[in-house]
Amino acid sequence: MLRIGDVRVPVCHGVTRRSFLEAGSAGLAGLTLPNLLSMEAAGAVDSAKAEIRNCITIFLVGSPGHLDTWDMKPEAPAEVRGKFRPIDTNVPGIQICEHFPLMARMMDKVALIRSLHHKTGATHENGQRWMMTGHDFNPDSVKPHCGSVISRLFGNRGTLPAAVVLPTKIGNTGAGPFHGQTAGYLGSAHEPFFLGSDPARSDFKVSDLSPPAGQTEFRLNARRELLRQVDEVQRQAETNSALGRDTAYSRAFSLLTSPEAKQAFELSQESDKMRDRYGRNTLGQSCLMARRLVERGCRHVTVNHFETVFNISCWDMHADGGGLNNTYTDYEQLLCPQFDWAFTALIEDLSQRGLLDNTVVCVLSEMGRTPNLNARGGRDHHPNAWTNFMVGGPIRGGQAIGSTDKTGSRPQNNPIEPPQILASIYHAMGIDLETTMMPGPGSRPIRLVEAEPISQLFS
Amino acid sequence: MDQRFEGVPKAEIRLEGRRLVRSDVSNDWGSQLIWEIRRNGDVAATISARANDSHELTDSTPGQYEVVLRMFQYEGYAKDANGKYTQSKFIDVSNKLTWTA
Repeated sequence: MLRIGDVRVPVCHGVTRRSFLEAGSAGLAGLTLPNLLSMEAAGAVDSAKAEIRNCITIFLVGSPGHLDTWDMKPEAPAEVRGKFRPIDTNVPGIQICEHFPLMARMMDKVALIRSLHHKTGATHENGQRWMMTGHDFNPDSVKPHCGSVISRLFGNRGTLPAAVVLPTKIGNTGAGPFHGQTAGYLGSAHEPFFLGSDPARSDFKVSDLSPPAGQTEFRLNARRELLRQVDEVQRQAETNSALGRDTAYSRAFSLLTSPEAKQAFELSQESDKMRDRYGRNTLGQSCLMARRLVERGCRHVTVNHFETVFNISCWDMHADGGGLNNTYTDYEQLLCPQFDWAFTALIEDLSQRGLLDNTVVCVLSEMGRTPNLNARGGRDHHPNAWTNFMVGGPIRGGQAIGSTDKTGSRPQNNPIEPPQILASIYHAMGIDLETTMMPGPGSRPIRLVEAEPISQLFS
Repeated sequence: MDQRFEGVPKAEIRLEGRRLVRSDVSNDWGSQLIWEIRRNGDVAATISARANDSHELTDSTPGQYEVVLRMFQYEGYAKDANGKYTQSKFIDVSNKLTWTA
């Protein structure tokens, strides 16, 4: 048994020296149980009294062309309608791309939102920040990721973090670091947990949860290191950020020492058939892990389909012949099939386990793509119109909300902006936006997002 | 973190009258899956095989037929000047069926 401040912590479930070092970097200063409890209580909603649902967001980094996927315009000129053909779905009147045949069979569960747009610059970061936070950029007040808000409002359920990002955070997409992936002013206690490795690989493991060889030596080293760091951070105590770091440390340590948490990340416990059904690729196995996490208490999981747009096959279909050379070929042979396979597996699996009623699944992206094909047959950034969709929880499927004009250039009716998506997610998760406030910068109570939910999603 | 496909997908295919039938694919990469139908050595048709586990043959043109299930293997993003992948490719993932019509 170790002691951290006044807290006795068991270390019998495999904590690596590296883990201690990393946890230590999050802050070890003076954690006490009363402090921890007061931190959880401050401004938090009583989750025991609320009917809170989970959320899994699949974020399609790079942004699919809406005209090539979920808002096809078969009557438009060839340079607009593109290469792919639409197919019917199981909802009369709604067609989607021919490369989503499995999704077409479950359209009755899906609510398409076809009139999304934002008015900020056409960079990936702008769109990602809008869709992950519901707010525009403000350097004086970095807004928190949706999962961080959930973490702040409801805290952890069990030993798993409230918010997890799989497989890793979005990295460089070209125009700055502000993707909206951090806890912002909520502090490090509510940072999402980033897995940081590919669950599809045979050598995958969450290294920080793996027991080391040589327990005895490990424990000695760990205790020695812990004592050193406690000494160091005690000198840094009494700062405003100390509490946040304490809680981050507590959370990290709980994760490191919990067999339940460790099991949640163990995809090897799934049958081969189940793993095959999701697809033996990064997206598929991340979606499977997302299901395992919400099943075991995680409240908000983000699955990033790619961490960058450069020199990989991804949704950013510029067809530029260089580092952004994604084309229809990538969509047809890899991206659309991979998404169709993983997404439908997730929905089927959640449904069969009785989890879909309690889990909102969102498929988001940062923007759309230009109505006219460029000279190389690709499409460039277009934040003026795009399509995302939601499934599960109280979402009414089998509908397409909003529409775009004949060329998919702009919303034609019911234009929707990103804050409305975030408001809808919070509402779908069971949060009353009228009564729920969150401590803002300087602890001033603020609304979660300045928008109303999209009423058609719930009617 | 570019994707790396590991293992080898495997499936069994058979012919039931005029209907091609496939098993589930083990170690399924989740990428595009197609029936490739060759007649007298040339590709006569490629048909999406992902959504359904069978395909009804409609072409009765005389010839020597060969059918195999193929899946796209992503090995890298690079493409040549014609937009074709230089490393990524389709590979056979099933047994081959042959017959003469």
